[in-house]
Amino acid sequence: MSIVGEALRQLRRKPCTVRYPAEKVPVPPRFRGMPAWEMSKCILCVLCQNACPPGAIRLIGKGPEAEIEYLMDRCIFCEECAEVCPKRAIVMSAHFELAGFDRSKMVFRFRKERQPEPPKPSAQTANG
Amino acid sequence: MVAYEIFQLVVFPGALFVICLAFLYEWVDRKLFARVQGRYGPLYTGPAGILQPVADFLKLISKEDIVPRVCDANLFFAVPVMYAALPLTALFIMPIAAPEALISFEGDLIFILFSFGLMTLLIFLAGWSSMSRFSAIGSVRSALQMLSYEIPLGLVLVCPAIAARSLSVSGIVQWQAAIAMWGAALQPIGLAVVMVCMLAELELVPFDIPEAETEIVAGWRTEFTGRRLALFRMGRDLEMVLVSALVVSLYLGGAQQLWLIPAAAMFVVKTAAVVAAFSFARALFARFRIDQMIAGMWKYMLPIAAAQVVLVQMGLGA
Amino acid sequence: MGYASTIKVPFGPQHPALKEPEHFLFEVDGDTVVGVTPRIGYVHRGIEKALELSTYGHGIYLAERVCGICTIAHTCCYAQAIEELMGIDVPPRANYIRMIMSELERLHSHSLWVGLVAHEAGFDTLFMYAWRDREAILNLFQELTGGRVLHAINTLGGVRRDISSEMADRIRRTLEHFEGRAREYLRIVRTEPTFLRRTRDVGVLKPADAARLNAVGPTLRASGIKGDVRRDDPYAAYDEMPFNVITSDSCDVFGRTEVRAEEMVESIGIIRHALEHLPEGVFRVRAPRNVPAGECVSRVEAPRGEDMHYARSNGTAKPDRYKIRAPTLANIPALCKMLVGIHVADIPIILAGIDPCFSCMDRMVFIRSGGATGRAR
Repeated sequence: MSIVGEALRQLRRKPCTVRYPAEKVPVPPRFRGMPAWEMSKCILCVLCQNACPPGAIRLIGKGPEAEIEYLMDRCIFCEECAEVCPKRAIVMSAHFELAGFDRSKMVFRFRKERQPEPPKPSAQTANG
Repeated sequence: MVAYEIFQLVVFPGALFVICLAFLYEWVDRKLFARVQGRYGPLYTGPAGILQPVADFLKLISKEDIVPRVCDANLFFAVPVMYAALPLTALFIMPIAAPEALISFEGDLIFILFSFGLMTLLIFLAGWSSMSRFSAIGSVRSALQMLSYEIPLGLVLVCPAIAARSLSVSGIVQWQAAIAMWGAALQPIGLAVVMVCMLAELELVPFDIPEAETEIVAGWRTEFTGRRLALFRMGRDLEMVLVSALVVSLYLGGAQQLWLIPAAAMFVVKTAAVVAAFSFARALFARFRIDQMIAGMWKYMLPIAAAQVVLVQMGLGA
Repeated sequence: MGYASTIKVPFGPQHPALKEPEHFLFEVDGDTVVGVTPRIGYVHRGIEKALELSTYGHGIYLAERVCGICTIAHTCCYAQAIEELMGIDVPPRANYIRMIMSELERLHSHSLWVGLVAHEAGFDTLFMYAWRDREAILNLFQELTGGRVLHAINTLGGVRRDISSEMADRIRRTLEHFEGRAREYLRIVRTEPTFLRRTRDVGVLKPADAARLNAVGPTLRASGIKGDVRRDDPYAAYDEMPFNVITSDSCDVFGRTEVRAEEMVESIGIIRHALEHLPEGVFRVRAPRNVPAGECVSRVEAPRGEDMHYARSNGTAKPDRYKIRAPTLANIPALCKMLVGIHVADIPIILAGIDPCFSCMDRMVFIRSGGATGRAR
């Protein structure tokens, strides 16, 4: 019978189960995990908000103080935001172990680093 | 001495030892079944998962027992207890630690056959008392299944008795010790028929028709939960010990001492091998349909069993 | 008289035989099924309405999630329908990549199905082996598209990722290994005696019934009728591929098994041919935001059969109406015909034999009050 040989062969081999979480399978490159914003490159252009199909990205506020709010529990990991970003500021990371108990922990906010204030001109130089 | 006899009956080789063997064989079965399929089987509870059956039993005992409103309450309460107790009683007749069992009398082989039939009757009552469609179908199927394998099994089990001139299981083991040969060497056809019919008795694939998971949820066991299910599983494991003990005692030499290895250890090794054979068979086949199974048993098994009896009567295999 | 001679056995919505919830009410007399009443709609998620509320570009992700196993078929169908309405032509390289992905999906779906039908027949070992080998295809998907099940590779105007030459080599190597396994499964299903006992002459669908009841996919082809959208109405470069439409004359579950196992081998041939002749060029063109008014029907051959999408646009950025007719819905009348007069033990095998994908199927529920009995059908 055909399956007997197969069964005996399988007995000699290691089982094909991966003993997660002790063993993990490495994630290939260009895997669509959780996106991450690199705010030094971000120009707050709102294109990612428009591109996101489920509406998981929101720009909150105005001007250079604006924040990007990313709702991970809405995200479908489709990579539209990374594709449409003109400055390549969004990168799909390799994170996929994203389950949790607390939805409030699934809201991420990204903001640009505050630029240091330029020095104010002194009273004498302004007037004189 | 009474104390020693009580120790024998309760601890070794009596009830406690047999229950430990039941858990051990469930582990062997699950592990081999998993390995054939490329999985690990029980892994984390105890070394190599050997305590998994104990853990499952304890977990089931601690779970809620849901009783259907319309079931036959008396039967529903009594059947699991009887189903767990019956193989335990029958196991006292099996020689486990020595070629002589704790209880042996002429005709105890017939008692074993009777207890197999009684176990199937209990399965039927279990499904019938649940008053659920799936249980009803499952119990009817198990009764039909018994009608088909019972006769070839009875015929073939009598052959070692004819050869040994004794209807007692212990007597057959002692006969094999006396002629220094195993029953399997003399009656291989009988061994094959017994293995196939025992697959049907234990309701293992390809004969797990009464509890076909994908067709009728769990067959006769559908409505049992919690402690009752724990007792049913225990009964099934004990039945596995009983069946493999019977096969070993009648065909594989039974509990005999080999050089310095004690008889009990030989018994455990041999029965574990039989359990492994069942488990391997379980992995290799698809499930039969009930009409195919009945037709196969009556068309093929019965003539082969009859042929074995004829051979023994002619002196070949005695 | 008092007692009914038949009992009513409900199958589902929760049942170990069904991987997705649907309800079948069987009337059983002893061990024979004398009647079946299906009731569908348990997985209705309102996708067609949701498609009307989102733009065309976002709608492709909704279409992707109609079903987990036929995602590429649904997105190809959607993309084709909308591209037809937009009047844009997809570059040839994109067509080839779509075809390669569709055939990989067919491989993955058929090996999943081989495992399922083995499990329904009680043959758990073949189930485990088939799914172990399917992992190779899923890992290939992960490397090609970034996700194992939901691929996000189709878009309006083409595909989003290219297949580089290293990826093409990876595909070829995986297929070499997988072809050996596919042929092994073909051999096992043809020779394993217990499996043959459970699938031969089970779930018979005569060719006349199959044509009349509009069966699609392998269910139709196992009754001897050569009906395949890839050949009858070619899309995405299938007219340039040499392949056979596999049919079988047994009209039973065994025939369907044979058809699917052989289709796996054919798919491997198509992928190899496509990789060899992959045209150069871009793989994506720009799609306009507003779609001119019109209506369009597009069909693809999903692993389960002919998948049909209907789209109607009204000049805005959102569709006016979108309708999805999945292959399993077309097979349900044929299924009901097959299920009458069989043993109870054959029910799960026949159900699994049409390769049911109920989440594809439940787009709309029809309720019509029946005539004399007044019973909703």
